[in-house]
Formats: sequence, structure tokens, C-alpha cells
Amino acid sequence: MVTKLHVEGYDAFKETVPKIEEFDKSGKPVFVLFCGSPDKEGHNWCPDCVAAAPVVEKGLEGAPEDAVFVHVGVGERNTWKDPNCSFRTDPTLRLTSVPTLLKWGTPQKLGDSECSKQDLVDMLLQDD
Amino acid sequence: MPPVAFSGDLKEWVQNTINCHKVMVFSKTTCPFCAKVKELLQSLKVEYYALELDQISNGSDVQQQLLELSGQRTVPNVFINGKHLGGCDATIQANTEGRLLKMINGEEEEYDYDLVVIGGGSGGLACSKAAADLGKRVAVLDFVKPSPQGTTWGLGGTCVNVGCIPKKLMHQAALLGHSLEDAKNYGWQLQEETAKHNWEKMKDSVQDHIGSLNWGYRVQLRDKTVQYLNAYGTFVDQHKIKATNKRGKVTEVTSANFVIATGGRPRIPDIPGAKEFGISSDDLFSLPYCPGKTLVIGASYVALECAGFLAGLGLDVTLMVRSILLRGFDQQMAEKIGDYMENHGVKFLRQYVPLKVERLQEGTPGLLKVTAKPTSGAESDSITGEYNTVLFAVGRDACTENIGLDNIGVRYNTKNGKLFATNEQTNISNVYAIGDVLDEKPELTPVAIQAGKLLAERLFNGSTKQVDYTNVATTVFTPLEYGCIGLAEEDAIAQFGQDNLEVYHTNFQPLEYTVAHREENVCYGKLICLKTDNQRVIGFHVLGPNAGEITQGYALAMKLGATKDDFDNTIGIHPTCSEVFTTLSVTKSSGGDVKAAGC
Repeated sequence: MVTKLHVEGYDAFKETVPKIEEFDKSGKPVFVLFCGSPDKEGHNWCPDCVAAAPVVEKGLEGAPEDAVFVHVGVGERNTWKDPNCSFRTDPTLRLTSVPTLLKWGTPQKLGDSECSKQDLVDMLLQDD
Repeated sequence: MPPVAFSGDLKEWVQNTINCHKVMVFSKTTCPFCAKVKELLQSLKVEYYALELDQISNGSDVQQQLLELSGQRTVPNVFINGKHLGGCDATIQANTEGRLLKMINGEEEEYDYDLVVIGGGSGGLACSKAAADLGKRVAVLDFVKPSPQGTTWGLGGTCVNVGCIPKKLMHQAALLGHSLEDAKNYGWQLQEETAKHNWEKMKDSVQDHIGSLNWGYRVQLRDKTVQYLNAYGTFVDQHKIKATNKRGKVTEVTSANFVIATGGRPRIPDIPGAKEFGISSDDLFSLPYCPGKTLVIGASYVALECAGFLAGLGLDVTLMVRSILLRGFDQQMAEKIGDYMENHGVKFLRQYVPLKVERLQEGTPGLLKVTAKPTSGAESDSITGEYNTVLFAVGRDACTENIGLDNIGVRYNTKNGKLFATNEQTNISNVYAIGDVLDEKPELTPVAIQAGKLLAERLFNGSTKQVDYTNVATTVFTPLEYGCIGLAEEDAIAQFGQDNLEVYHTNFQPLEYTVAHREENVCYGKLICLKTDNQRVIGFHVLGPNAGEITQGYALAMKLGATKDDFDNTIGIHPTCSEVFTTLSVTKSSGGDVKAAGC
């Protein structure tokens, strides 16, 4: 069963990083999905993120049993669009798009509409 | 409901049932799509055998076997002459395209793919992607045999993993070191007198970039539905290869067409200790530790480039060459490159060949002892030297030896294993070759890419466009870069005669060198012009910083047949290095002075 975590915002993400590192060190594959955060009514400003959600969900069904999935909300549209947004400037992340789906500690990364292509998502989540 | 009658292994029984019937339909009586397929076959007056899986008690077991055999569990599942066709849609489509009856009558062999490319380097990837863009069913096989030192890498071939990309980045690392020296003259106050270089950090940064490229290629292939097989391909027959993966699992893959794009690998000389203790460019760029005092053996561009950047990083580097530098390149330029490198810390052992390599000490790096003899001398004149690392860069061999070429009779040059081909087609009509495996063709990534793309267009899109292999520009990324287009001076003389040529040349001093107080008269450019053809420029040579960037644009001019007049009529960009080619006035034949003058 894939372990799923959700964190909201950059500070919460940074607090989770040591945990992620720990999973990674213990040999568990860690997948992180960065998405726009929905508003109070549950509406998400990022259409690509909405499109990616079910595709990633489906892909996770075939992910390794011991995998860890971290869903990270990057915040409201204005927060993300700010060129100085911490997710963009963080030297280990340097995010350029949401959604971004990545495998922690590897160069394997998908961005934008790639995250809603089942083939590509499956390759990232399921291939060794 | 009686179970289906059979004895023994169910899988075997299913396979036999398929093989025994020309047209075999696994079906269910309740399935409308099955009914459709059977109606179609009846209307074509084709004899078929349908096994109704809902009429037997172990139907779902049979379906499980079908899944393993064909990758398809659902019905209808149609096999023709023992080969899997597919379901309802596939059968109807085959009929619409007029293939169905041909397949049934055995007139058309149905292959797994329209194109299988062996080798996932620059050429192979370009070709496969172009074919997939044209709607073809394509697979790429890529398998990296570990180097003698055990180094392997990901998808993308030599250029990306162990060639152009890491080489240029490490060249840049070396140039930055040199720029740090200049920086002081430009007012930068550096914390320490001499900057220190960290090999591991550079290696990691370079390898991280390569890792992202490997992944990017896999994404592209998957996105274009090119099947990527991390397996070693060998020909079984003209339409079939055997693909062996790293676990030793073998599958057979059939295809209408094949492209051989297996490239080349460094040659390690057959002397004691070379394979055991030496490394090659396959290993250098991912070496986990700084190579330390290094002996580079060879005079190829790979040898010069590696020696150049290692020295630029501050290492003690010796280059051992048997005879001339950069065989095949303009020799005046080659000598100038050698002189520059010698003045910038690279020690030369000219006219020597290595005899053996011994290990004195293990370690990272260890300590090796190299024995070498003069090219024309006796073994008794041997010399020895101690180095931490010995890098062989004496040439590259085409990877054509163990891919089953003799099984299908592809013709190749027995001297170097390179393939004979006309317009990238070998003597076997459905087997093509691109890139470094081609005999008498330049071994350059962009050439392979162009060949791969155009080949796909000719094969699958009715194009007639061929690769133009003339005037291909290239650059050697030695500390002082060397760019060239067209003929070397000696080749021009051999082809047209000295009297029919005029060579315009000059030294030049980059503006940036002046403030930095770098040496004068190391940068140099020349144009070789054909007097009998309106002084058309047939050779372009430049030695200087950013030669690659200078050379590319002039390649276009030469493709268009530019003459010396055209160069003279072009107005330069001031202040640049490139502008010297618009004002060349001194000919070699005049014997005039070409030492750099002021602005």
C-alpha cells in the first residue's frame, strides 16, 4: 500500500523534507506532486493540476508497494505566480511549473500537461 | 458444461490450437464484437475455427493463457497463421487496409514493427522519433555494454553520456579556471591567490545534467509511443532480431525495416595492463575521484580535448603521441593546437608508443607505471613514467562485431568493421545504417541526426532528400578551440594542386586577451580559396576562443558557395574574433607577415 502524505505550502513542505529524506535513504521510492491549492469552495485555479489528479491516482495503483506519495499544495495562484515564490527559488527544487511530478533524488520529473498523460505518469511511478 | 478436451499443459494446448488453424478466433457466443468478426470472415468466405470460451468450463483459464501469449485477454482474439492479429477493431482495420486476405493467404508477413532501430544514440533516437511522428510502429533497442572498468550509462548514446556533452562542460570548467586568472586584471579581487577545483562537484553537476537528459529521452520516446527496449539486439534473419536484456531474458522482435545505429566505443590497445588499469573516455566523465597526474595516450581529438581540460583544471598532464596530431585534420592547425597546449601545461611525449601498464599502488586514484618505447626505436630505449591515471584515446571502433551481421550478410569493411552503405542503405534492402558505423562518413552527432531524420522521411513519407555530407562544419574543443569547414590545406593541394589555390591567413588577438595580458599570436584563421573557381572558399580554419560559435555561421556561407569576394563584401562585427574573416588580405604565397597588429 502506497503511503500518502499531504502538505500545504512551502513551510510545511520544508518541514516534511527530513521525513522524505528518511524514506529515500531507507530505499523507498518517494514521489512528490506539486499542485495549485484549491480555494474554500474547493475550486482549483490550476486546470492542469485538476487534469493530472486522476491520472496520478491511477498510476499510483501500479506503483511499488513501499512507495511514498507526497502531495504538495503550492498555494493560491498569486503565491505561485510570484517569481520569488519559495518553490521556484528553492535551490534543490527550482520548480518551474505546476503540476510537477517528480521522483525524489532522481532527475525524473514531469511537468504541466505531461502529468496528465497516463503513459508518462506510469513510466515515472512504475518503472524501476 | 464439459471442460475443453485436452491432455497435458493448457498453455501448450492453446498454442497448438492456434497453430493448427489458419484463422483462429477465440470468441464468446454472447459477445457482439465476436459476432461481427465471424460475420466478416464468413462474408469473405474464409474458413475459420472459433472456440467459444463461454461454452467450456475452463474458458477463463484459456483467457489467462491468451493474455500471456498475446498480451490480450479479451475476446474476440484473432490469430492468423499462428500470428496474433488482435480484436475486432484490428481485424476490421486489417480488412479495410486490404491486409487481411493477404495475411490469411500468407502473402504478407505481419511484423511486430515497421521500424526497429538498434542503438539509442543521437542518430537512432532522431530516426525513431521521426518515424513515429509519421505514424509508424517503432522500437528502439539500446544497451550499453559496461566498459572494461565497469562504467555504464543511460539512454542517449555517446554524445550525451560520454562524449560531446560532458566534454564541453568539462572544457567550460577549465576555461572558467583560466578566466579566473584574467579576472584579476579586470578588477576582480579574489579571496584566495589561487582558486581550487573540486573534481567531485564538477562530476556530480555534469552527471546530474546527463541524468536529466537520459530521462528526457525516455519521456520523448514514451510520448511518441516509440517502444524502448533496454536490450542488446542481434540479427537472426533479415526481418528478425533477438533482443537480450540485462537479466539475460531473450525476446524475438520482427520488423519490416531495421536501422543500425550502434555507434562506436573507444579502442583499448592490446598491451599488458591496458584493459585492467587504464581508463577511456567512457570512464573519465563519471570518474568518482580526481584522476590526479594523468597520462593521455593518443593524438585523436578525444585525446587532445581530454588532455586539454584536465590540464586546465590544474592537473599534471602528459600526452603520449605515436606520430602526428589530429590525423585527417589540417596539420598546420593541428601543430598550432599542440604548441598552445604545450605552452599551457600539457607535457608532450612525441613519437612514443606504450608497451605496458603496471599497477604500483591501488587507490582512488592509484599509482601506475607506464613503459613506452620510441616509435622507431628498440625496446631497450624504453622509458618509464609514473601516473595516477592512464587514459587511452587512440581511436574508436564501430560496434558492429556482435550484432549478427554475418547472419544476414550485411557487407562491411573488414579493416574497421564499418558498414558499406549507399544513401544509408546497406546491401540488404531493408537494413539501413546511420552515424558512426558508416564507412567513410564523418563521426559527428549532428550528421547522424540529420541522416536519421531524412532516412525516416524517405522510408515513410515519400521524401527523396539525401544527406549532404560535404562542408560539414566541426569544432575540436581543445583549450584554444579549433573550428573548420571543408578541406584541410594538404587535402586541397592534393585535390587541386598548389598553383590553383590561394590561402589567405592571419593571426589575431582577441580584444579580451589584451587587458588580461594573455600571449599574442596564438589565435589564427585561414581561408583556402580555389583560384580556378572564382576564389571560391573550399577550406575554412579558425583557432581561437569560441571557435565553435564562429564556425557554424560560416558553414552556411560555404554551403551557398561563398567566394573570397563574398567574404570581403561582408561587413564585420567589431570587436569580435570572427570579423577577421571579412578582412583577410595576406596570402601565404606572398610570405607577408601575419603577426597580430593592434585594433
